Order: sequence, then structure tokens, then C-alpha cells
Amino acid sequence: MKMNTDPNWLKKKASMEDGGFVSVGGLVSEIGMPGREFPVNADPLRHAFVRLLQLKRREKSLSLEELANKADIDLAELMRIARDEHHTPNILTVCRIAEFFRLPQRPLLALAGLLEPTDDSFQHESLRFAARSEPVEKLSREEHKALEEYVKFLCDK
Amino acid sequence: MRIAVGLIDVSTGEPVQAELFDDVTIEDFLQTQRDWRPLVLEAAQRLTRAGDRPSIIPQHFHWDWTRKEGDLRMLANRFYGIRREDKLQGLAKLMTVGHVCRLPEQAGKPLVYVDYLEVAPWNIKPLMTALGRPHRFAGVGTRLVEIAVRLSVDEGFRGRLGLHSLPTSEPFYINTCAMTPVGPDATKQNLTWCEFTPAQADGFLGR
Repeated sequence: MKMNTDPNWLKKKASMEDGGFVSVGGLVSEIGMPGREFPVNADPLRHAFVRLLQLKRREKSLSLEELANKADIDLAELMRIARDEHHTPNILTVCRIAEFFRLPQRPLLALAGLLEPTDDSFQHESLRFAARSEPVEKLSREEHKALEEYVKFLCDK
Repeated sequence: MRIAVGLIDVSTGEPVQAELFDDVTIEDFLQTQRDWRPLVLEAAQRLTRAGDRPSIIPQHFHWDWTRKEGDLRMLANRFYGIRREDKLQGLAKLMTVGHVCRLPEQAGKPLVYVDYLEVAPWNIKPLMTALGRPHRFAGVGTRLVEIAVRLSVDEGFRGRLGLHSLPTSEPFYINTCAMTPVGPDATKQNLTWCEFTPAQADGFLGR
């Protein structure tokens, strides 16, 4: 077996590895069970993730079905992401979304609640984006009527 | 097999020579228990006291090396170690049968499966930071992945590689190595299955 002897390759790779965790299996199972919990609440981030996906899709005038076909994503999974903010997306789906919309992979994985966010500003800026991107267009006649009827129903309860 | 490989000495930032070997014995595994475990536990306790939740401390499958002696004699299992300064710096167990590719473009093709890969705790920066010390050598994980890719090439699998990554290791495999995260595997505690295509393996090797 011939290993790479280029010191520049080694330096570059070692710098990227940066002393981080690399374990596959191994010691210290006593300490923590494998899980996906991170010390931040993923819900607000996922709200931003869903809004980002929605706006990028609309920017390209794509339906969910068209996006699923073009980005090679399972339509049912895409529908769940779009409709259920509590749904934890599949990592491969998020990577394909990142590739299709030319978005950076790691921040998008963090936004989807699949990787730990890098810093506090990430959560702050994501929340700000989600809040600012909420639609403010006027209600249609039908929406207005439906809203009034539902509010009346609530008031009568 | 015993060949020289470079690692980076973190204190100087320069390459130093280590030894890659494949005649791993049960003594080597016992050495990980003896030398690695106390450091890992101490670092983990400090991280917990500092308020970090267990989920951001390395999570590992339970591996009882004292029961793995039989594994050493199985031909389909290949074990590799890296030694420097008379200490084990990293260990890996690779399997050449029993797993196949899952990525749609190469589904069903043979690959090398990384069943176990671990570096000594003194080479893991977050653990050493918790203990107030610098980490020692960099690039050990990269070398072990390189061994796995080269074994895959030697076996005729063209660099195809698969593994179940722990959550804390995902940044290394997905971002640093650029493996494709195929998705959580419900049969393996929802750990993420990551895979190399031949092109990705070539990219990793710098070819």
C-alpha cells in the first residue's frame, strides 16, 4: 500500500481535520448515546429553513413537484419539509437542495437542525430572516371572508 | 506491513514520521482501554461540569475490545494502527465484505466498510481543550480514511467506501472528506450513512 507522501497535501488535510471528532464506533459509550440533540432549539431555525426553501423555489417559479424532479428529491419528503416544520429532513435531501440552489451545505444542514450551528449570530440572523420574509400582501376576498368567519366562530365559543 | 506515514506535530505545524502497521494485536486494543479511556472520561466529565450536554461530547457505539479477539482472525476484517512515540495514535477496523453501496448511482456495488475508526484522545482538540492542554498530532483521522480508500482501490472497489458516522463526526466526513451523506440508517440507531464514490475518493486522495 503506497501512502501519500506530499507534505502539502498532509498539511492541508490536517488543517481541515483541525483536531475534530472523527470516531466511527469506539470508546466512551458510557458518556452519551448517539442522538441528534443539539443545545439549541431547532424549531426557529427550521422555520427559517422552510421559508428559505419556499422563497428560493418561488424565485425560480418552481412548483414543489418541479423542484423534486429537477433536484432529484423525493416529492413526499419535500412536501413534508414544506408543510411540517417539526419534520427532521433527510440529510441527503438537504444536500441536494443546497446543490440545486447553490447554497453552502453546512449552514443549510445547521438550519435544517441536522448539524450544530457554528455561533449565536447564526440563530439570530436566521430568526430575523424568517420574521422579515413572512408575506405581507393583502388578503384576497376569499381569504378575508374565511378569516372573518373563523374569527366569528372563535368568538362564539 | 509496516510503512512510514507523516502526521502533523501540532506544536510545530510540521510533518513528523509515524508508523502505519496492520499486524494489530489484542494488546493494541487493550492499550486503547488503558491509555485512551481515562483521558476521554476525564475530558468528558469536565465538559459535562462546564455545562456542555452529553450530546456534544463524542458518542460512540459500545466496543468491548476484550470480546473482539476473534475479529482479528477473520480475513474479511483488516485492522490498521498508527504509532508514534511508542503510543497508538489511531486505530481502524475495515471490512471488505458484508456491506454494499447505497447511493443510487452505485447501489449494490462492493465497498470497504469502516466498522471502527478512532484516534487517541490527545489528538482531539475539544477533549484536550477541556483538559487545558494542546492536542498533539493532526491528520490521524485523515490518514486512517486514506488507508481505507487505498484498501478499497487495492480490492478493486475503486475507492468506494461506506461508514456510519456519529453525529459529532459528521462535519469531518461530510465537509472535510466530502463524502455523500446518504441519510440516517434506522437499523443503526439512525446514524448517518456516508459514502464515497470513486470520483470523491480520487478527490480525497488528491489525484
